Amino acid sequence: MSVTAEMTSTTEMVTFYVQDLLLGIPIRQVKEINRNVDVTRVPQAPEFVRGVVNLRGDVATVIDLSRVLGMGSCCINDASRNVVIQSDEHFNGLLVDRVADIVCVPDHMITPAPANVQGIEGRFFRGVYALERELVVILDLAEILPE
Amino acid sequence: MLDDQEILDEFRVEAAEHLADIETELLTIESDGDEFDVDLVNKVFRGVHSIKGAAGFIGLNKINTLAHCLENLLNLMREKQLIPTPAHIEEMLQSADKLRLMINHVASSNETDIRDHVDALTAIAEGTKHEGTQPADNVNETETEPTPSLPPDGAQVAAPPRAVETPTVESKECSRQPEQVPLEATAQADSNSGSSEKQNDLQVIYDGQTRAHKRVAESSIRVPVDAIDHLMNLAGELVLSRNQLLQAMGSQEGAIDGVVARINQVTSELQDAIMQTRMQPIGTVFNRFTRVMRDLGNSLGKKCQIEIVGKEVELDKTIVEAIGDPLTHLVRNAVDHGIESESDRIAAGKPAIGSVHLCALHQSGKVRIEIADDGGGIDADNIRKKAVEKGLLTSEDAAALADRDAIRFIFQPGFSTAERLSDVSGRGVGMDVVKTNIEKLGGSVEVDSVLGTGTTISITLPLTLAIIPSLIVQSNGDRFAIPQVNIVELVRVRSDEHSDRLGRVGEADVLRLRGELLPLVALNQTLGSNSDSNRETSESLESFSHGAVNIVVVDTGQFRYGLVVEQLFDSEEIVVKPLGQHLSVCPCLSGATILGDGRVALILDVGGIAQFEKLRIVSVENVNSGPPGVDEEELDETHDVLVFRNHSAERFAISMGIVARIERIRTDQIDSVGGKNLLQYRGVSLPLICLEDHTSAKPRLESRHLFVIVFDVLGREVGLIAPTLEDIREVSGPVDTATLKEIGISGAMVIDDAATRIVDLFELAQCAEPAWFEHRTRLPNDVGADERSISETTILVAEDSGFFRKQVKKYLEESGFRVVEAEDGQMAWDLLLQGEDVHGVVTDVQMPNMTGFELSRHIKDHPELKTLPVIALTSLAGDEDIRKGEDAGVDDYQVKMDRERLISSVIRLTCNPRSRDSVFAATADDGLPNHSSETRL
Repeated sequence: MSVTAEMTSTTEMVTFYVQDLLLGIPIRQVKEINRNVDVTRVPQAPEFVRGVVNLRGDVATVIDLSRVLGMGSCCINDASRNVVIQSDEHFNGLLVDRVADIVCVPDHMITPAPANVQGIEGRFFRGVYALERELVVILDLAEILPE
Repeated sequence: MLDDQEILDEFRVEAAEHLADIETELLTIESDGDEFDVDLVNKVFRGVHSIKGAAGFIGLNKINTLAHCLENLLNLMREKQLIPTPAHIEEMLQSADKLRLMINHVASSNETDIRDHVDALTAIAEGTKHEGTQPADNVNETETEPTPSLPPDGAQVAAPPRAVETPTVESKECSRQPEQVPLEATAQADSNSGSSEKQNDLQVIYDGQTRAHKRVAESSIRVPVDAIDHLMNLAGELVLSRNQLLQAMGSQEGAIDGVVARINQVTSELQDAIMQTRMQPIGTVFNRFTRVMRDLGNSLGKKCQIEIVGKEVELDKTIVEAIGDPLTHLVRNAVDHGIESESDRIAAGKPAIGSVHLCALHQSGKVRIEIADDGGGIDADNIRKKAVEKGLLTSEDAAALADRDAIRFIFQPGFSTAERLSDVSGRGVGMDVVKTNIEKLGGSVEVDSVLGTGTTISITLPLTLAIIPSLIVQSNGDRFAIPQVNIVELVRVRSDEHSDRLGRVGEADVLRLRGELLPLVALNQTLGSNSDSNRETSESLESFSHGAVNIVVVDTGQFRYGLVVEQLFDSEEIVVKPLGQHLSVCPCLSGATILGDGRVALILDVGGIAQFEKLRIVSVENVNSGPPGVDEEELDETHDVLVFRNHSAERFAISMGIVARIERIRTDQIDSVGGKNLLQYRGVSLPLICLEDHTSAKPRLESRHLFVIVFDVLGREVGLIAPTLEDIREVSGPVDTATLKEIGISGAMVIDDAATRIVDLFELAQCAEPAWFEHRTRLPNDVGADERSISETTILVAEDSGFFRKQVKKYLEESGFRVVEAEDGQMAWDLLLQGEDVHGVVTDVQMPNMTGFELSRHIKDHPELKTLPVIALTSLAGDEDIRKGEDAGVDDYQVKMDRERLISSVIRLTCNPRSRDSVFAATADDGLPNHSSETRL
């Protein structure tokens, strides 16, 4: 993969929906996607923290992406997934409504994000990429999960 | 070549391994004096030699030079040309230290100044060559420039630039070679060549090394700790999945059972095996103390020795690494503050040489390390004085403080009782740091001291890190863990006690507990509120104004308060997992853990909650509500217990009410006669009971003196051995009769933060002297218990309710029967089919899996079991029921729970079978008044 990526300078993106917004993050930054959304609530936690889950012996924080983006709380259903972000220390999972495809995005095709997307602050986004029928908004994880 | 980090790392690891044991070995050589073990010298020689070789190879000249000088001396020693004196060994030890230092800082090693060591070692080497004519002043340069006397074959040894023996040594060696050969051959097993040449000799050493390495390689490999950590996590996860599988399969039966059982077994074994990979013997830490003691003794001018026991005890690597410093501190303290000067010791009639006993042992799933010295002990009065001086105590409080508690003040920050600070200890690192460090590892430390006799510091450590026993509680429907170390006691306030025990002082809710007022925090309110939102502190505890209230009394270290929780669950050993950075803002949480069912539970930080709630200590004066006299009432519930230890780690308590007196005796006054211990005193012999003989208590440790608690049983005097008496305590609160219950132990309660088992002296005596109780089990002769003695009669009790089962069991056992328990009819039937030797069955009627009637029918249909009497026990005893029971073959019907009737029925049916025929009718006539439709206990 890395070879192809370098040669054509594309990035594989995992795409998923939060409500009706199609979002993407580079697959390299994703450790795994699971259905582990049955969280333990954490009292006194910030609102965007949905809770914590057991990730094979580690305790991972589940972030309500919808809340972070200011789109209100998300409802957990059968399609909900926990997108666990690769990390050296603590694992964070992004709670998303539905996982979509993995798409190969040529880097030069990513256009800068507008100041806001559907009323959401542009600072969360690295750019947008047009698929045939819709736009993938590429998340800036550094903004979503500040250190 | 120095830039190849990998090679350097490899060198460092290997060199460290070679150096690891050098201290101990040199010290052994020193203590053996003239008779030192040549094999051991060879071992040290080989280690140093390979360091030298490798260092030369990668261009670490200074390491190479120093190793070379050391090797020189060792060579002289193994040739027996040098008998090492303590001064020699001292120099060698220091050189080895230097070597280690350089190896730890490989990169800068070439800039290290080693001249002093080289000179000193050279001087020693020269000293032995008294007939030598050639000065060896160039030793520190020899590694770069072969001297002419180097045998020409030196060039043939390829890799390491060979260090060169000083010419004199070399020549001397040659002259001695004929005698040397047999020595070599015996000393070194690998010496197959019987070489007479230096080069071959070296070769042999290399061979020996490769061989030794091979052996090591077969039995151990180096694995990155990360890999093992990962394996451990996976194993943990496998255990959880296994648990879920077990739960899912529990309901179904069939062939899958075998698979589940196998997975169960494999998983547990896998987990153990993986945990094992992180275990290291504590000897790696203990070994350094031989040296520490020697150096300490020298610098303090005290003679002392150290005795080390239990080097093989294994602990998690992290703990082994972290325990070194606290232990060193404690050993130093023992020598510096503990052991008296030689003259003082002789004056006190003690051996001139002080001794420190360092011991590690396994104890109830933990490791206990004891550092015991036979020094002067800690003067509790001195401590009291200091505590008052430092304003930690008022003088009244100090005077009231028990010695034991006073001594604990040494763990307070800034509390040093040494008259003056010495070079060795008291360098600003106090016992408080030791305590903190040990507690960080999840351990605890205790001190025990007898003035004039010595001090023992006991450290208890978990086997693995970050596993802490915790109580699981529920609040707002979620489960939380409270570390057991924070918990003082559990209090349940019944709804009718609310007004007496729950009060309100100003804005705060309080709990009255034995005359003390504890602030209360409702956990669900605390956790339900956000740290930044405005909280209504005036909200009272209305939420629990109905029903019983569960309160966990916790201790923050500064004060205590009560945490109101919805529900209490079991205690669990939990593994602490950190919370992510997004959750660091939660003031009341200290981490998370994964429970048995795989769900995450959060760990409460009791200190954080107290701060969050801005709790203060409530003083009694502030109370203006609550009826008077409550405190007295509560005091009435308390009673005095005598707290003692059998083994030093386990606490027991006996109600003072039954203690007749306490005697202090010498161990040699105890006579062992026919497996029984008797104490000869006052002209009579008193039977003695050892706790460990009848209960699961750990055996007592050897001691010269011990205490005997004398009490009366059936008019006879019996003594219970209680090696160490602690205190008489006023206790109240519930006794946990479930967890630690066994024969002789009626339960446990927490006294002074430690689980204390309550001894049932009566049961214990019954266990120890069953003959005394024989007559008691013979009930009035109208029930005719003569066919089989009651103590030979076993009754099977089938009852699904644990409460009733225990009750029936207790009744029967108190009457002398042996009891086998079954949780339902099926289990009882299985037991019977397995050939369980019983003489009667007492069964509940309504039970899952198999009812009492079905059980009875099975028994009566069975060719061999049909004579077994069956007594049905029920709360419903209508005519219809009795008829059904009769149909099922029930021999007798008893109502829950009429003790007398039940016992006499059991005796009649099981001990006197002849009368059985008419029993049913008889009982139906006189047993149930009016055949009442419903009778309950």
